Amino acid sequence: MGLELFDWLKDVGQIVEVGGKQKQLRQTGRGTDYTADEYRDLVRRTVDKLHPARMRLRVQEIVGETSSTKTLRCLRIDGPLPPFRAGQYVNVFVEIDGVLTSRPYSMSSRPGDDHLDLTVRDRPDGFVAPYLLNEVRFGDELTTTGPSGGFYYEPLIDGEQLVFLAGGSGITPFMSIIRQAATEQCPPTIHLLYGTRTLDDVIFGAELKRLDALYPWLNFTLVVSEPPAGYDGVRGFLDAATIEKAIGGFSGQKFMLCGPNVMLTYCLEQLGALGVPAHKIRRELYGPPDDVTREPGWPEGLAASQEFQVVVEGKKTIAVKAGEPLLCSLERHGLIVPAVCRAGECSSCRVRLVAGKVFMPAHAGVRESDRRFGYIHSCVAFPLSDLHIDI
Amino acid sequence: MTYQYDVIVVGAGLGGMSAATFLAKNGLSVLLLERHNVPGGFATSFVRGRYEFEIALHELSGAGRDGRGDIGRYLNYLGVLDKIEIITMPNLYRSIFPDMDVTLPVGLEEYEAKLCELFPDEAKGISKFLGRVVAFYQEFSRISKLPKRPGPMEVAMRYPNFFRYMSATWAQVLYRDVKNPRARAVISQYWGYFGMPPSQINFMYFALGLASYLKYGPSFIKGRSQTLSNAFIATLQEHGGQVRFNCGVKSITVENGRVTGVITDDGTNYQARWVVSNADPIATCRKMIDPAEVPDKFFQRLQASTIGPGTVNVYLGVNLPPEKIKLTDHENFINPDDDFDAQYEMMKKIVRPTGCLATLYNHVYPEISPPGTSIVVLTALNYGEPWYDVPPEKYVAVKNDVADAMLDVAEKYAPGLREYAEVVEVATPLTNMRYAGTLGGSIYGFDQPPHDNVINRMGHRGPLEGLYFVGAWTQPGGGFGPCMISGQMAGSMILKTWKQ
Repeated sequence: MGLELFDWLKDVGQIVEVGGKQKQLRQTGRGTDYTADEYRDLVRRTVDKLHPARMRLRVQEIVGETSSTKTLRCLRIDGPLPPFRAGQYVNVFVEIDGVLTSRPYSMSSRPGDDHLDLTVRDRPDGFVAPYLLNEVRFGDELTTTGPSGGFYYEPLIDGEQLVFLAGGSGITPFMSIIRQAATEQCPPTIHLLYGTRTLDDVIFGAELKRLDALYPWLNFTLVVSEPPAGYDGVRGFLDAATIEKAIGGFSGQKFMLCGPNVMLTYCLEQLGALGVPAHKIRRELYGPPDDVTREPGWPEGLAASQEFQVVVEGKKTIAVKAGEPLLCSLERHGLIVPAVCRAGECSSCRVRLVAGKVFMPAHAGVRESDRRFGYIHSCVAFPLSDLHIDI
Repeated sequence: MTYQYDVIVVGAGLGGMSAATFLAKNGLSVLLLERHNVPGGFATSFVRGRYEFEIALHELSGAGRDGRGDIGRYLNYLGVLDKIEIITMPNLYRSIFPDMDVTLPVGLEEYEAKLCELFPDEAKGISKFLGRVVAFYQEFSRISKLPKRPGPMEVAMRYPNFFRYMSATWAQVLYRDVKNPRARAVISQYWGYFGMPPSQINFMYFALGLASYLKYGPSFIKGRSQTLSNAFIATLQEHGGQVRFNCGVKSITVENGRVTGVITDDGTNYQARWVVSNADPIATCRKMIDPAEVPDKFFQRLQASTIGPGTVNVYLGVNLPPEKIKLTDHENFINPDDDFDAQYEMMKKIVRPTGCLATLYNHVYPEISPPGTSIVVLTALNYGEPWYDVPPEKYVAVKNDVADAMLDVAEKYAPGLREYAEVVEVATPLTNMRYAGTLGGSIYGFDQPPHDNVINRMGHRGPLEGLYFVGAWTQPGGGFGPCMISGQMAGSMILKTWKQ
């Protein structure tokens, strides 16, 4: 009983003590002074050093790589270049014929350089690439997002044996990774298999050959599907046999894949045949399909040219085509939806589908509950009917 | 003056969504503005490859089976409950020590029996202590239903447990009844949910939290916490409320000491009679409002409050079925020893953690990842401050070193995480700052020692007329349930004035 009374007194003492402490701190100013300069815009200042939402770049040099490819070497003019993971991209904003749009491009330069290289290859039916290749001049300004994306070598889980499967312009993120590895004391072992149609299409061919000769940790195999007569290098595609021969069989290496959608799909099948499990494969995101009517699940008989009406926020009605991503159609009509990855995963372009039906490829990274509550990622959503959306 | 809206809510975190939905349901015209492209604040998810990760929800308190708990009833009142499915959990948590591995069940009797079986010499003290916790919870519930706050004498006489322990730390009460350091540690295992160790966390918050978990059981939400956030938005819209995503608020407009609306990042001006800020109070009163408009005493009042901890989270998509990963429970707390004060000291620096929480979500929500795979999240609390000055070019190496240590800790008990990881993402307090915009990347708002406990904490009324605060920085405190309650509390205050 005596103890209990003592405890009770202690408890009451705490009430007084806490009340006193509170009062003292609040009146004497010996606590945290949130009016101090360091607290002004602390969050934005701190985050922007790592992840600026936007960057203004100036084209400092234009390097011709192949007949269809150029590198835009850029400097940042509104602050220091933020660090990035070799393999990441920036989304480049452009205005072409009055249309505001954007496309993501992987950096081919290495992190830590004072410049940032965006390597652009021309595409048949391209909209942005021809503009970047033919219209952009030395000294021009480009606006981009900060570095983004999850396609990089992650030493936490990726081990030290890497196999890169590159197709066409899909070489760019690997170039950044290899250039970075060349500056490291203990780089991972890298086997690069680079698939190309013709020898003229090879981007960074000379540099890769030079690095291959210089560094024991790098192995470079060029695989040509339409070689010239008498070509004595490796011919064909990045199929299971070619991969197996080049790397000497699967023994736990991590595979990284980047290239056109058809190549990604093909290589994943080939890796499956080699017995490579899912956790040993990293792949860059699929962009929207070039021809959505050939995707599994696309309704039979619906032509890409089929027109539908989209009512936006109950106010504006626009005409769209079934075969074009909704995001692009919105941009064509001057409606701005934020976008970063343009490949279905980052959810920046998430909009609400109030009525109607859209097609999204199976790999689109839409959240489970977003699907349930009617939200779509407009960069990979193709209209299947007239729509009502809220942006 | 005529306004476009009765209320503008800045930020669609749990507090903001709760306030907006509560007010719209009660007939006010509401505009909810959110800077990010999805609602939820920390109640959200993200997709990498074939995995969709839960960001923050570990154990929801107060929901209860079929929504019978107090939070469940509130969600039902709003019209949110029938849009979500609550999954109740069989266990509270698993405590792992180098020489002990124990899983604690739901239910006061079951929990008490398990503890007494583990620590037979302490049985009497354990029962006595849990009795105090439950009595405190019951008295608090009764007080909170009173029409007006009772005076000190009435509290002392009629609510003796509440009166005695309302200013105590958890340790000040627990250590009196329970002497064995291991028993103290096992009973205090939830300290990570509250952000401070037993010696510093306020008793009120810990006791209310533990009692609620014991009574209603912890729960999860089918489809992850993003489902709760999406359900809030859908309900808000049903009640006529409007919501704008990708729409940050640049400033809150003030005339004659009264808020009159907001200006968004794109320059649009919306007017409203009330502005409810779900942003942290520092950003609200130093960035969105001209600080000259804010009375000095507001910042003086905040001097006693310190910014609470953020987290380092390692999100792992693992290409192994859950039964092949040796994390036998949903929540696996891995402790190096009984010294939580030492763990707390580590939170103030960037060091390689020696303990962490390993959560295997498939135990409670099997469909959270594709068949044959699992989602594992490793969590360690860490204050944001030491991260502010990490040189940008060193950031990845520094965070990966912390993540590497956490993987070491987890792999001691669950080998194979690195080998079978298909996807990994490491998030730090800076990541929290980036996506939630919260000061210090804090997940619980201000720290929660006794002088900043459930009732001593910053209230909802802001320093300017018409301005209100919600979220973890305000009463009753951090956590999913408390944040939703903060929205209800601020909403009730506004509703009362509106009705007049």
